[in-house]
Amino acid sequence: MSRARSPLFWSGATLVGTLALIAMLAPVLSPYDPRAVSGPSLVPPSGAHLLGTNDAGQDILSQLIWGARSSALVAVLAAGLAVAIGVFVGVGAGLARGWVDAVAMRVVDVFLAVPALPLLILVAALLGPSGPIAIAVIIGLAGWPAIARIVRSQALGVARRGYVDAARGFGAGRLYLVGRHLVPALGPLIAANFVYWAGTAVALQAGLAFLGLSDPTEVSWGSVLNRALSHPGVYFTSEWTWWVLPAGLAITLAVVGLAFLALALEPGSNPRLRRS
Amino acid sequence: MASYVVVVFFLITLNFFLPRALPGAPISALDDPRSETYVGDESSRIAVENYYGLDRQLGDQYTTYLEDLVQGDLGTSIRFNAPVTEVLGDRLPWTLLLVGTALALATGVGMVAGVHSGWRRGRRADKGLLALFLAIDNFPVFFLASIAVFVFAVKLGVFPLSGARTPFSESSGVLAEIADVAYHLALPATVLALQFAAFQYLVMRASMVGELESDYLVLGRAKGLGDRALKYRYAARNALLPSLTVAGLQVGVAVTAAIFVETAFAYPGVGRLMFESVADRDYPVMQGCFLLLSVAVVTANFVVELAYRRLDPRTSP
Repeated sequence: MSRARSPLFWSGATLVGTLALIAMLAPVLSPYDPRAVSGPSLVPPSGAHLLGTNDAGQDILSQLIWGARSSALVAVLAAGLAVAIGVFVGVGAGLARGWVDAVAMRVVDVFLAVPALPLLILVAALLGPSGPIAIAVIIGLAGWPAIARIVRSQALGVARRGYVDAARGFGAGRLYLVGRHLVPALGPLIAANFVYWAGTAVALQAGLAFLGLSDPTEVSWGSVLNRALSHPGVYFTSEWTWWVLPAGLAITLAVVGLAFLALALEPGSNPRLRRS
Repeated sequence: MASYVVVVFFLITLNFFLPRALPGAPISALDDPRSETYVGDESSRIAVENYYGLDRQLGDQYTTYLEDLVQGDLGTSIRFNAPVTEVLGDRLPWTLLLVGTALALATGVGMVAGVHSGWRRGRRADKGLLALFLAIDNFPVFFLASIAVFVFAVKLGVFPLSGARTPFSESSGVLAEIADVAYHLALPATVLALQFAAFQYLVMRASMVGELESDYLVLGRAKGLGDRALKYRYAARNALLPSLTVAGLQVGVAVTAAIFVETAFAYPGVGRLMFESVADRDYPVMQGCFLLLSVAVVTANFVVELAYRRLDPRTSP
């Protein structure tokens, strides 16, 4: 696979791998408790606080390190949920054909037409201050229709192949067909969509937090950004460079890394250049 | 057509049921002793519920909601104490100005870059442009906006920090006012334009690559047509059709990006209004913004689909 060795793959995998490692080792890596007051407020970067402290005297570097964990949690949970529902509906509709397929695809079309961000804002605002798990669930519920549509069209193609017919001829049941043939054949597509939605989930989580829609006590990249940008005068001191910039860069590296990885994993010689 | 009506009806229904179905919603909060908006006094709670029609059957409430909607009544803003439609009407021109300017700036750039990149697929220019636009496309737009404010408004001081016009300025003629609006528009429109250009570029490039193997290009080359003619007069024209779909999808991109960019620049459009309504817990305005933005996206896609059918006879049933 030459595609797997492409610069797109390596740059994406390196970024995502590094951030995943930081998320896993957060308790070891972070110098302070991200919620504890560990110094005076708004100290510029120094030996004691590599990225300084925020207005409450909390260590910014520790918040970013723990923020990686929050993003990783939302990414995996939201993408997992979107892929699980999407594959279930897509494969189910593709196998069932007939009216089940028709009804499922009408429902998918209607959900696909609703723009995600305004809906997520409305739902998050109505839910009240939401932690990462609630945010991940609503992002996951917004993501499944796109996956269902792609998976269904691929499943229709796979289901028509000779070896599937042969298995059916030998008396294979539906569940066996799905587990033994359909899901493995759709594997690369499912993997690419999982990574793509993980990236979208990280961006949406940060975006919702930027708009003030996450639990303010939650430690995440977006909430660091939200707190920094709502601090009066953040632009007029050096604060921007060590409070806003690192948080923004963390979000950007994660989102760009996951997007590059998703593109590199996308099956097919002429990669659909995104957004379905 | 039928599917368009179904989707719009779905949005309208969603807008009615979401506040009534979700926990922590403004309406159920009235009854919940733990919530901050709990109305303790039995008789005043009943009065409030009666005022909002909450004591009636859900079906009744729904038909009233639909009747009001048809008459253009989206409720009353809690913060502005004015009809939601009026509040939206005040903000919409700013969003249209911002998005329209950004689209005008971006479309040419994105298309030309896409045609060029697709034509020279795999060469250095293509790889460079592709990496650049892929990065821009995935760059969180609220962070890009913050960088733009810091570099161009604060450090270099060439553009204003926020807003759409200079507050309390003595009007010194129409020209000065137009200049003031343009001066405030420049930075947010550029940030938005970068997003649009990246999206346009990616679709145009993919569509151009799809044309490369076509027979008509082989024939054109065989009869001695020049590279420029083949590139622009033949391949680019055929590659243009798929990018028409982009025009519809761009409205979806515009809605998302406008919410973030307007919020970051405190630009008084509908996106910023939605952010403010969340901060103020002004639920009627929030719902109005949701309805306006989502119906706009759905309508844009519907219009593009109609245009597509006229332009490409193969897609007609």
